[in-house]
Amino acid sequence: MKPFPFVVVLWALVAVGCAHGPQSAAPSAHFDQPAQAMTIVPASYTVKETAPSPQVAQNNATTPGAAAPGVLPTEPREDTDFMAETPSAETATIADPLEPYNRAMFIFNDRMYFWLLKPVAQGYKAVIPEPARVSVNNFFYNLRYPVRAVSCLFQLDFPCFAIVSARFVINTTLGIAGLFDPASSDPNLQKHDVDLGQTLGKYGVGQGFYLIWPVIGPSSPRDTVGLVGDFFLYPVSYLDPWYVWLAVRGYQEINATSLVIGDYEAFKEAAIDPYVSMRNAWAQYRQKRVEERRGAEQPEAPPGVPRY
Amino acid sequence: MKSIKAMKRRMVGLSLLLLALFSAPAWAATPLDTVKSDVNQVLEVLRNKSLKEEAKKEKLRAIYKEMFNQVELSKWSLGGNWGKLSEAQQQEFVPLFQQVLEKAYADKLLAYTNEKVLFDREIKITDTRVEVKTRIVTASKEIPINYRVLQGGGTWKVYDVVIENVSLVQNYRSQFGDILSKNTPEQLLETLRKKVKDQKS
Repeated sequence: MKPFPFVVVLWALVAVGCAHGPQSAAPSAHFDQPAQAMTIVPASYTVKETAPSPQVAQNNATTPGAAAPGVLPTEPREDTDFMAETPSAETATIADPLEPYNRAMFIFNDRMYFWLLKPVAQGYKAVIPEPARVSVNNFFYNLRYPVRAVSCLFQLDFPCFAIVSARFVINTTLGIAGLFDPASSDPNLQKHDVDLGQTLGKYGVGQGFYLIWPVIGPSSPRDTVGLVGDFFLYPVSYLDPWYVWLAVRGYQEINATSLVIGDYEAFKEAAIDPYVSMRNAWAQYRQKRVEERRGAEQPEAPPGVPRY
Repeated sequence: MKSIKAMKRRMVGLSLLLLALFSAPAWAATPLDTVKSDVNQVLEVLRNKSLKEEAKKEKLRAIYKEMFNQVELSKWSLGGNWGKLSEAQQQEFVPLFQQVLEKAYADKLLAYTNEKVLFDREIKITDTRVEVKTRIVTASKEIPINYRVLQGGGTWKVYDVVIENVSLVQNYRSQFGDILSKNTPEQLLETLRKKVKDQKS
C-alpha cells in the first residue's frame, strides 16, 4: 500500500517550492509549543515523546539510551509493553504548527486526486495493458538515476553508489533504456531508494514541521530542500519548452497513479481521521527511510536464522 | 520374507515414534513458521476460484481470528489511552475496531490473487515479541509487510502489521490519541460506531 499517492507529483509547483524552499530546518523555539500540543498520546504517557523538539525526537532514534525508560524516574513503568513505545524509539511524530493550512491543502489534494488524477488514470489504465504501464514506470525510475547516485555519494555510501550505477548500466542496456528491470533478478542488485531529503536526515537534519504542498503532497522544510535538489538532478526537469516538461511529468504521474488506483481509497477507508493518519504514515515512512541509512547499513540475517 | 516385512513395518513404526519424540519442541512453532502458515492459509482462500466472495470473507474472518490477537491489537493501537476506557468501553472497542479494519482491508485483500509472498526472516523485539519480515511481490513492485507477533497461549499471534515501514498500530495510535486529546472515550466509540455504519452502507 502506498499511503500517499501525491508525494511525487512535482508539476508546476516546484517553482513555489523553490520560493519557500531552504528554510532553517532546525525548528525554532516558536514551533516547540505546537510540537508538544500535537503529540499523539496523552500527557501522562508522553514521557519519551515530549522531547523538546522534533529534531531531538528524531535523534533518539539513533541513541536509544536517550530514550531509555531508566532515565525517566517520574513515570511509574507499567508492566505492559503496549503502553510504552516500541524499543527502537521509532515512534514518529512531526510538529504541525500549520495544521489549519495543511488540512485545507489535504482536502485540495484529495479533490485533485478524485476529480482529476484518478479519472484520467482510470481511462488510461483501461486502454494500456499493465505490462506496458510497468515498463513506463521502470523507464522513469531508471531516469532518476542521478538522484540516487548523488544521494549515495553524499551519504558516502560507495557500495550503494556501485549498486545503483550497476543497475543503471544493466537496465539501460539489457533492459532497453530502462523499460525492463533485469538487474533486479540479481539479489545483490536490489533497488536502493535514496533521495536528498533522506540524505539530509542521515546527517541529523530534522524534519522541522509538517507541510503539505499542493499537488506534491506531504513534505517538510527538510524534504522540500531535498525535493528541489532532486528536481535539478532529474533529467526530465530540463525538457524545454516548459509545456513539454509539464506534459511528460504529468504523463509520468498518470502512469504511476494507474498502477496504484485503489490504494489511496483503501487508506482513507481504513482511517478514522485521514488527515492525522496520513501525517503519521508519512512521518513514519520518512523516518524509517532515514533510519535505514543511518543504522547498520545492510542488516543481514543473524546466523542460524534461515532466509527464505 | 514375511519377517523382513514385519521388521520393516516395525522399523517404520519405531522411526515414526522417534521422529515424534525428537520433534516435540516443534510444538512451539517459530514465529516465522506461524506467520507463514497463517499467510499461506489466507493465500489458499484467495486463490480458491470455486469460492464465492462472501464464502471467502467468511473463511478469511476465521483465519484472522486465529492469526491476530484482537485485544492486543486494540491495546497497542490505543497505547496509554487504553486505561482511559472503562472495561465496558474496552469490550465494545475491540470488536468495533476489528470491524473497521475488516471493512477497510477485506476488499483490498480479495483483489490480491497472483502475488507471491516471500518470508524473509524474524527479528527478536523482546523475549515475547518478534517481528517477521515478509514481502509481497506484485507485477510492478515489492511491498514489504512485517508482522509483529506476540507470544501467548502457546502460540504467536499478530498484534501489529508494518506495511511499507508504516506501523498500523502506531498509525491508529496517532489518530486515537488525537481524538482522545479533544474528546471523551465515549465520543471515540461513537465515531467508530458511525464509521462502521457508514462502511456498511
